[in-house]
Amino acid sequence: MENGKDTRLDQLLASYGADRARWPEAERMRDGGGNEPAQADAESIDRLLSLASTVSAPADAMSRLMQRIAEEPQGAKVIAFPGGSSPPRSRVFRYAAALPLAASLALGVYLGAMGSLDFMLPTSITGGVALNDEMPDDLGGVGEADAYAEESLT
Amino acid sequence: MLSDASAFRQMTDAGLLEAAAGRNHAAFGEIVSRYHQPVYRLVWRMTAGAADAEDIAQEAFVKLWQNPAQVREAGALKGWLMRVASNAVIDRSRRPRHGDLDAAPEIHDPQARPDAPLDRSEAAKLIDGRIAALPDRQRLALSLVYFEGLSNIDAAQVMDVSIEAIESLLARARRSLKESLSAEWRELLGGLTETGR
Repeated sequence: MENGKDTRLDQLLASYGADRARWPEAERMRDGGGNEPAQADAESIDRLLSLASTVSAPADAMSRLMQRIAEEPQGAKVIAFPGGSSPPRSRVFRYAAALPLAASLALGVYLGAMGSLDFMLPTSITGGVALNDEMPDDLGGVGEADAYAEESLT
Repeated sequence: MLSDASAFRQMTDAGLLEAAAGRNHAAFGEIVSRYHQPVYRLVWRMTAGAADAEDIAQEAFVKLWQNPAQVREAGALKGWLMRVASNAVIDRSRRPRHGDLDAAPEIHDPQARPDAPLDRSEAAKLIDGRIAALPDRQRLALSLVYFEGLSNIDAAQVMDVSIEAIESLLARARRSLKESLSAEWRELLGGLTETGR
């Protein structure tokens, strides 16, 4: 309260109007006083709002809606569990599955770089190509393409 | 299995949603009969009575029908519908429309005849139009709390804002409305013609 003026009362009047039935229930019994200008202002805005149109849906709007619903397929049925969503896991649990994968990747890179596992691999991969002096002159018969082309012309 | 519409009338929203998820049209019909009017009124208020107000309200219910389980808290079904409908209205207002007559508000502004005295129905149209011209969030807060009588807590949930934000939006909406009607203020509050009262 400031100089006998209740600022919360001003806020209530400005937000909800002068009709206390429209105020939050817990604040309806609040004492008024020193807020006459705000009270008068709120009353006049209430009167303006009370002049707005009274609206109701067209009489057959609901039947049109139900007609549409009858034609509308339902999507996938996902029923929510009554207890709500499960509590979020901590970060440690969330990334637990990634740890062994990351460890095996690191181990694989390390062993591969050290050559520790070369004895397990076939020679064609570990050095067969390098040792093979008889490299084919051509790969996949591409070099013979001209010959085929010439043959087809003659 | 319940098939009588009167039996559904006794059911809670949670029971109706569960039945609707099982493709029960009668259960969904009860949801429609409970909440169609407030959802339609909200859309009408937000769109100033646009021609597609019924379609927008309808869409909210169709979305619900397509997947009733998306309503996580059955107790907040009305709020969920209002949220979906108001989001649709706001999306619609942001969509560019070129030459679409539906985009024009249905409510004419009686200020077009400034010399003529306002009767009650013209005053209503004038105020409806000015409410519809408020910024989206102010208009939504005012529609939910003043016109639909939602508590500040429920309105805050629909709009996904704090109660303080709702109160601020309401105060701004009321102030903006008063300012926008300053020219007609005296006539609206005291000098309405007897015709149509």
